[in-house]
Amino acid sequence: MLDLAANSRETAICTLHAALAKSPAVKDAPQFLHGLLERAMLAPVCIAADVALPHARTDAVERVVIGVARVAAPGVGFDAEHPAVRLIFMVGTPKQQVEEYLLTVAAITRTLKAPGVHDGLLAAKSEAEFTALLARGAKR
Amino acid sequence: MSTTVPATTTELLQRLQRLLRWRLWIREKIQLTEWQVTLLWAALAGFLGAMASMIFSVLAEGVHEFMTGRTSGVVESMRQLPWWGCLLVPTLGGAAAGLVLLYGSRLTRSESSTDYMEAIVIGNGRVPVRASLVKTTAALFSIGSGGSIGREGPMVQLSSVVASLVGRWRNFTGPQLRLLVACGASAGIASAYNAPIAGSFFVAEIILGSIAMESLGPLAVSAVVATLTIRVLTAAQVLYKVPPFQLNSPWEMGPYVLLGLLAGGLAPVFLRSLKQSEEFFISLRLPLVARLALGGLLVGVIAINVPEVCGNGYTVVVDILNGRLLWTVLLGIFACKWLATMSSFGSGAPGGVFTPSLFMGASLGYLFGIGVHRIWPAAAVDPGAFALVGMGAFLSAASRAPVMAVIMLFEMTLSYDIILPLMLCNVIAYYTAKGVAGESLYSASLRRKAAAEPAATLAAARVSDLMRADPSTIPPDAHFAEIASKFLSVRVNNLYVCEADGKFLGAVSLHDIKPYLGQLDLAELVIARDIMREDFPRIGPDQSLSEALGRFLGLTAERLPVVGPDTGRLMGSLAKGDLLLALVEKRRKPAA
Repeated sequence: MLDLAANSRETAICTLHAALAKSPAVKDAPQFLHGLLERAMLAPVCIAADVALPHARTDAVERVVIGVARVAAPGVGFDAEHPAVRLIFMVGTPKQQVEEYLLTVAAITRTLKAPGVHDGLLAAKSEAEFTALLARGAKR
Repeated sequence: MSTTVPATTTELLQRLQRLLRWRLWIREKIQLTEWQVTLLWAALAGFLGAMASMIFSVLAEGVHEFMTGRTSGVVESMRQLPWWGCLLVPTLGGAAAGLVLLYGSRLTRSESSTDYMEAIVIGNGRVPVRASLVKTTAALFSIGSGGSIGREGPMVQLSSVVASLVGRWRNFTGPQLRLLVACGASAGIASAYNAPIAGSFFVAEIILGSIAMESLGPLAVSAVVATLTIRVLTAAQVLYKVPPFQLNSPWEMGPYVLLGLLAGGLAPVFLRSLKQSEEFFISLRLPLVARLALGGLLVGVIAINVPEVCGNGYTVVVDILNGRLLWTVLLGIFACKWLATMSSFGSGAPGGVFTPSLFMGASLGYLFGIGVHRIWPAAAVDPGAFALVGMGAFLSAASRAPVMAVIMLFEMTLSYDIILPLMLCNVIAYYTAKGVAGESLYSASLRRKAAAEPAATLAAARVSDLMRADPSTIPPDAHFAEIASKFLSVRVNNLYVCEADGKFLGAVSLHDIKPYLGQLDLAELVIARDIMREDFPRIGPDQSLSEALGRFLGLTAERLPVVGPDTGRLMGSLAKGDLLLALVEKRRKPAA
């Protein structure tokens, strides 16, 4: 999802969640959303100044689900230390799958560290370009 | 992309993660399991037990030298003393032992029984220190003055106390502490007889009633370390040097069978006589000091003509095994030694009757061998061999530990040639004694004590009795870096996640996070709640040990959290090692 319009952390999470909830792997969308918001309130979910990774380990999903969005400039504040988040990676993992959760989160952080990926994602003009960049970063 | 983690924190995290990776690598390569740690403690108990035994020996010899003015052995000293000296020394020694016990009891009123066997079998492993020291000090006088009693008892007692102290210092749980005290006892026996295998089996067979590796392994390590310590520091050699014996003819097995029956029949009589003697001395209603002095005086009266009755009988056994005694002389010594042991033991002189039992067996075997040799020379070519086998048979019948008796005889003499008749005779003596009387050298007191304190064993059947307090916990919002740091500081594979009020939420596994320790980005993002396993098995404090074992089946975790069923709060943890030890203990019965 590109240039997501949101004026708060909750709006951003709810909007991306609404898109992700369409996935057949999400069994219980409200419960999944509840898990995401609860986790975001418990401790920061940002991995960089402008990258957030709201996530939940919940029984509401059957398998690992990932939603990615770029927030329209100037970004959305997730907390005091992260006032302008532009990239959001939403992750839902089944409760039992601790290893898969860590694997997914680690893979996302590695992808973003790949040269040119972070800036490329912010500058991508289309979803196709955005997705291609992500795929390239993941391959590295 | 810029990081939110400040540079100094980053360096700290990198260092932390490097440390954790090293630690994990070391643990994977040379990881010490709880059992291996137990073996290390067993080795320490063995070393300290040997030192304690050596100190006791030196002190006993010092007391003997002080009381007799001679540095030679007990029997030789008594032989050199004038008649009044033979009367005076054991009498004074008995009185001194009585005084120590009398005044020592004022210091130890609040303490429970000093018996290390009780502490292992039915107690909590806490051997009282002051009471044990008082008893051991009293034993120095009864043994040093020539009492007809063994020194191995106090040596084992002292060794067990030291082990108990170590375990208490390290806050060992009940089963762990009992096992460590058992290791101390094993070290004591191994030190006293220079016999590591027998030391292990003595405790396993007689006290624990089990040769399960959970307990036998630490006992063996403790005994080996104790024996090594003794050998290095004292240049100790094989205890009984004997000429080579051999089975000359298969016909000899017939007399050995008879010897087994004889030893099996006589050992219970010997034990009963000791008990009756004890009852007799108590019936005299003499003050403690006078009672022990009387016991010493009786030994002294016998020693005027038969000094061989003094001490534990070691030198006489060596003479018997080497054929240096006439059978007529030995017959007299045998009868007198029996009476002297009854006097010492019956009067309450602290000490052991293990070595005196060896003397009884050696004498019986030798006399029997001589008798057979006279009637049928081909069936008993060397009566000394019968003495050796008789020792084992009598010990087997008295202690009801035939395996230990075979091993001990072999270790004490290193004479393997006699192993066939020894095994046969020991087993026959064991079954004969079992048929004649139900009590052994050690089981009687243990059974009495077990009957008096049945609650102690029953109580151990619940998880709460084995629970270790204060397991390692982390809050649900603990960050990845904090979790990694915690794993560095404590030696566990799972950290329990608890709310501030102690409510148990789940566990974070080291196995799960291990591959991601190099990922700095996770340090601030991931918290305990994200990676904890909510379905981590747990157990209630009131659940039985069998139920706890069921929980451990198919689980790699070495510990389970103990959670209150009503409150959901973490109360402690249950270690698999403690549980297995407790189940081994629960399965055993007081030695029959």
